Amino acid sequence: MFDIGSFRASTCQGIGRLSVLKWGASIPAGLMLGSPRVLHAAPAAKAKSVIFVWLWGAPSHIDTFDPKPKAPSQYRGPFATIATQQPGVHYSELLPRLAARSDRFSLIRSHVTSQPGHPDAGTVGLTGFEERPEPVQPNFGAIVGKHRGHQGSLPPFAMIGRGIPRDVVRKIDGYGGGKFGKGADPFMVSCADDGTVEIPSLQLLEGLTPNRISDRHEIRSRLDATLRQLDRAGMSEWDRTYQRAYGLIASPQSRAAFDLTQESQATRDSYGQTTFGQSCLLARRLVEAEVPYIQVNWSEYVECMTPNCDFGWDTHIYNFELLQDTHCPIFDRAFSALLDDLQSRGLLDSTLVVAMGEFGRSPRITNRAARDHWSRCYFSLWSGGGVQPGRVIGSSDKYAEDPLTTAITPKMVGTTICDLAGVDTQARAELKVLEGGTVIQELL
Amino acid sequence: MTKPARQSGPGGLRDGLVFPATKREFTSLLSMSVQHPRRKRDVCLFRRGSVPRLTHCSPFVLLVLSLHACLVQGAEPVRLTTDGHAKRDPVFSSPQETELLYVLLEKPNQLRLMKRSLVDATTVPLHPGETRSEFEPAVSRDGHFLAFVQSRGNLSLALVIVDLMNNRTYEVPPGGGFSGLRSPAFTPDHLRVLFSYPEEGRQQIYSVDVQGKDRKTLIDSQGVNNWPHFSREGSSFVFSSSRDDDFEIYGADAKGENARRLTTSPGQDIRPRFSPDGSRIAFTSNRDGNYEVYVMRSDGSDLVRITNHPEQDDYPIWTANGKQLVLLSERNGSFDFYRYEIP
Repeated sequence: MFDIGSFRASTCQGIGRLSVLKWGASIPAGLMLGSPRVLHAAPAAKAKSVIFVWLWGAPSHIDTFDPKPKAPSQYRGPFATIATQQPGVHYSELLPRLAARSDRFSLIRSHVTSQPGHPDAGTVGLTGFEERPEPVQPNFGAIVGKHRGHQGSLPPFAMIGRGIPRDVVRKIDGYGGGKFGKGADPFMVSCADDGTVEIPSLQLLEGLTPNRISDRHEIRSRLDATLRQLDRAGMSEWDRTYQRAYGLIASPQSRAAFDLTQESQATRDSYGQTTFGQSCLLARRLVEAEVPYIQVNWSEYVECMTPNCDFGWDTHIYNFELLQDTHCPIFDRAFSALLDDLQSRGLLDSTLVVAMGEFGRSPRITNRAARDHWSRCYFSLWSGGGVQPGRVIGSSDKYAEDPLTTAITPKMVGTTICDLAGVDTQARAELKVLEGGTVIQELL
Repeated sequence: MTKPARQSGPGGLRDGLVFPATKREFTSLLSMSVQHPRRKRDVCLFRRGSVPRLTHCSPFVLLVLSLHACLVQGAEPVRLTTDGHAKRDPVFSSPQETELLYVLLEKPNQLRLMKRSLVDATTVPLHPGETRSEFEPAVSRDGHFLAFVQSRGNLSLALVIVDLMNNRTYEVPPGGGFSGLRSPAFTPDHLRVLFSYPEEGRQQIYSVDVQGKDRKTLIDSQGVNNWPHFSREGSSFVFSSSRDDDFEIYGADAKGENARRLTTSPGQDIRPRFSPDGSRIAFTSNRDGNYEVYVMRSDGSDLVRITNHPEQDDYPIWTANGKQLVLLSERNGSFDFYRYEIP
């Protein structure tokens, strides 16, 4: 299924595609093309594409990739450790597939961030800088996207997830273009567990459904009317997103990038029938379509414990049950499948894959027998795109409370991602981004 | 125990179940099993309508054949749902076992209680208009009471108890801040509901009456205690606890006293369920590397592995005759309930 706003093109049922093609042919040429311009071809980029897996909510580092089996019980929790491909390196038993693939990625165990709360740390994690003083800095994806520019009708920076990550109070300010403006915001796409893809920016045309379209004139008049409404509302930035979306659906190649039904059942199965799994598969398809930067957000709610909030990995209660029953099995399967799939298609060397959250979780078990926020120590995973696999970089103390080695900051993460994606020191200076950032040399 | 079949024909792979077509293929599979013990697959010795030829087999092969024969006895599991969506927490909604109540991850922000008729295979929501997530249902043995967990706010979970005969609803509200009650289970006399609740650095098991009042502590130890389930005759209950490190199965008498450890494996032993006659306990364990369902006697002896697949098997419940288990199996990345015959 491929749901385009109010349109649902069902390639598996063979009825919707014709409607979309007819409709696409009716779109004014200017709308189809969006704003295609390539600023830099990035020939020196080791990573043609970046997949940034954003584990929103902050996964527990001590229960996953930095276990401390010799710590007292009030720290270590109930999970045992399992061996990996690296002698002496152990993960939590909840991650058997990734433990078996640990030679395909490198692990950093010495991250620190400056903020203890979700939206603030989210901005730091996605931009390298705090939200204040303004302006908010751009997401790493917006930097790569601005440097690379549009590749045809496909966006340079796509975000797969159900809306902008947020907590109960507000969204992450650093989710998108920041000081670059809304035009550098990510192109939002969501993906359901059955592979249905939705593009929210096209939802404005309520009522414009294939069975209500009588002719091309009606389509054109509706589009024109909608654009006039947007102009009156001063939504020029949104207008650009809208144009990109229509440009995208006008291109068969672009549409195909979002169509998971073109995958074999075996491939879709390998990622798992979960929102996160199918989102990772969609990310791989966007890599094949040469989208420079794809951010995959951990699905909005996996456990549904907090209405109207993007709960993610925020396991203040029932941390151990949640990790065991849902979060770790889903992540272990989907991320392993992503690495396998990229490698089997010869894409891993040219695709940088990074997975991390905004911070870790308190090593000492809390009053609620779970784990709270912990900004002083957390982890990330890196694979492909010029990264040397199989390394464990940095280490934490005996309780996983603080790094024993040099602290690695989000700004270093962003600098390394951008550098590998071809946004070198000079380009970063020209864009006035990530000033003072250094590359994590141990990864290279 | 065999696996759910997805394909037919001689030889091949059916949902991870390998049907060897030739002796060479069978020998190869055995070799794979020995060399790659983590690549678990059942070897089905009996192709449909055929009898295996055991001539030319070495004593070692015969030994392995015998072991596998123990595993594959009984009928194939019956698939009870087919949509593949993420689901969990199965329970029969009535003593007649004509309807399965379970939890569906209907969309990313909604866990919904569903009713699945095992007579006509129709599935409908239990509470169609409910916008809050509801999960972990429990039904009293007489079918008069229903309990479940309901989300109430930011990391806030209440226990809801419904008197189905008198159409009354009671609740145990969550505590302050981030907190919640989980894993409700009825006592066999339908007078009280057990649940798990975290506070003071550990997670205990409590009980309340069916009006949600008269809270009593049953299990209070270090670590996490969860998934209580009472025996039918009411003298004891089982639960999982991490008091001694990882999750193990424990038993205790009806008042929560005389807790005794029933499993000693590495890895997690969780979600224990007494058989209807109280003689056996089904539970989930990842002792062999991934989640499988096991059955043991109520004293922890005579362990039998019921499932054997590289993907997860979990959430076992017994049928009333004690001869079958309904459980959730992940196959090819999809999740459905199956009914397994138990030796």
